[in-house]
Amino acid sequence: MRINEHPILGTYEKGELVTFTFDGKELEGYAGEPIAMALKDAGVMVHRYTKKQHKPRGIFCAIGRCTDCVMVVNGQPNVRTCITPLEAGMEICTQYGVTAKQPGGETE
Amino acid sequence: MKRYDLIIAGAGPAGLSAAIEAAKCGMKVVVYDENARPGGQLFKQIHKFFGSKEHKAKIRGFHIGEELLAEAADLGVEVVLNSVVIGLFPEKEVTVKIDNHVEHVKGDTILIATGASENMVTFPGWTLPGVIGAGAAQTMMNLHGILPGKKVLMLGSGNVGLVVSFQLMQAGCEVVALADAAPRVGGYGVHASKVARCGVPFYLSHTIVSADGCDHVTGVTIGEVDKNWNVIPGTEKHFDVDTICLAVGLSPMSKLCDMAGCEMEDNPAKAGFVPKVDEFGETSIPGIYAAGDVSGIEEASSAMIEGRIAGIAAAIRLGYISEADGKEKIAEQEAALNGLRQGMFAPGMRGKMITETEEGVSISQNLLKHGFVADDEIERFPGITHSKGIHPVIECTQNIPCNPCQDACPKHCIKIGKNITALPAVDEEQECIGCGMCVASCSGQAIFLVNEDCGDGTAEITLPYEFLPLPKKGDKGVALNRKGEQVCSAEVADVRSAKAFDHTSLLTMKVPKEYAMKARFFRKEEAV
Repeated sequence: MRINEHPILGTYEKGELVTFTFDGKELEGYAGEPIAMALKDAGVMVHRYTKKQHKPRGIFCAIGRCTDCVMVVNGQPNVRTCITPLEAGMEICTQYGVTAKQPGGETE
Repeated sequence: MKRYDLIIAGAGPAGLSAAIEAAKCGMKVVVYDENARPGGQLFKQIHKFFGSKEHKAKIRGFHIGEELLAEAADLGVEVVLNSVVIGLFPEKEVTVKIDNHVEHVKGDTILIATGASENMVTFPGWTLPGVIGAGAAQTMMNLHGILPGKKVLMLGSGNVGLVVSFQLMQAGCEVVALADAAPRVGGYGVHASKVARCGVPFYLSHTIVSADGCDHVTGVTIGEVDKNWNVIPGTEKHFDVDTICLAVGLSPMSKLCDMAGCEMEDNPAKAGFVPKVDEFGETSIPGIYAAGDVSGIEEASSAMIEGRIAGIAAAIRLGYISEADGKEKIAEQEAALNGLRQGMFAPGMRGKMITETEEGVSISQNLLKHGFVADDEIERFPGITHSKGIHPVIECTQNIPCNPCQDACPKHCIKIGKNITALPAVDEEQECIGCGMCVASCSGQAIFLVNEDCGDGTAEITLPYEFLPLPKKGDKGVALNRKGEQVCSAEVADVRSAKAFDHTSLLTMKVPKEYAMKARFFRKEEAV
């Protein structure tokens, strides 16, 4: 969810409204904002699942330090979505281990 | 290989301040920062800062950030963003990763101002999406306009936990509770009070038992801890939340100092592994300085002064300023820094149990345990008086280095004196004109204007209000007490906003006069 008007900050400067895909589904966000913010606005909580135990991970530090929020962006895995600016047409996929491919069966 | 007089790692408050002082002396300075925007965490700080004029008190953090950037730009400081200092070698050679290449630069002096990183705590479910750092919450709402969650539990009652809880409410989140394993609130009482009066319950001596949820947080269970920090069975409490915010301290990010070979120490008073520095911030390696949180966790206000001192020291070292002139400038900065390091939250006071103020007034125990001063405690503080007509009521009950209220009053009703940590007292001889400058100037939102008896059975209370939607004159609702409980119905008599108030609106509410010293917040709602 977005904050439309803030009591101290007023309104927020935003880039151009663009579309991108998340696991093939079309979503909208503002160009230049971190990918993770556009996803959070769309209600996406899980960015990846860990390799061995298939545990979900999402935004934790939001400043590029913890690497919990990494995803597959335009085919490249391990992209820190909290500090990578959103661009029009980006293909963003949930990361499983270190790939965009979901493992054959549930591992738990 | 490029050469600079001063290379700075980190464009936060310390790094930028050092760059400004060094550039003023004529030095060629570069500042590297790994982030896409400069300013460190200053741009996430939307509250008014504490201190006095020289510490930029009552100015909001992000405005201080804007001032620093403008000043650095005017002086020709080169700020390189998206650049990570990855190596610091003997002879002050530095490697920086910029985009996908590495540059090799050499400095005659170096300042490490890399700041700090957030601590975590672990509990079952702590890796679930929805468990975030308090810094992450600030980044989302204050930089990007994204709501971190709808219902939030905050863990940590230090200043970060308190300030971010308030900011979460300003952004539109509900803070369901604030928990801390410590038995006492760690941050400023005034920060706690402004959160408590909005109705947030404080659970001291409580920690998180577990975060619940399958793919993301759907709830949290907290429990009371005994003196060995073990959860006491049967004390568990559950809250439905979608977000758990962790504000459990900061650790210096001092790896570069260690890498450079600076002598390091593990110093609990500085909150971690830090380089040993002298009074100018110089490490054991001559010409390599450290300033800000990297050399000991404090506030942004002190980081800025430490940065200025290091910048001047570097200029003396390279001969850009005479030792006499430089030392004089440093002495001014040291006096300012010393001012900030006074009071019951000074670095040297960490972990100490304080029972009395400097004036000999007993500290409110309820404030430490529940986040607000109880009705039977408030009267003993010097800011509480009962003059006829409108007068300030200053609910500032701890010795913190802060004095804007004293200068804000055009009638000199408020006295702090030379000692910046003294509790503000009301001079009843002077007449309050109800201008509200003191209410808006108080960084702790602890000043109210009260007319205890308007003559018609009502009292009027003017309070600082920083939420949206802003109530309007004539709105009916309820008054909340210091604990955040509804105590009586209230009507908005006036709402004032002015540029001089800097986004703090002054809301005046009318309540039955018996609630003059109890009602401290307004909520637009059906009357009780």
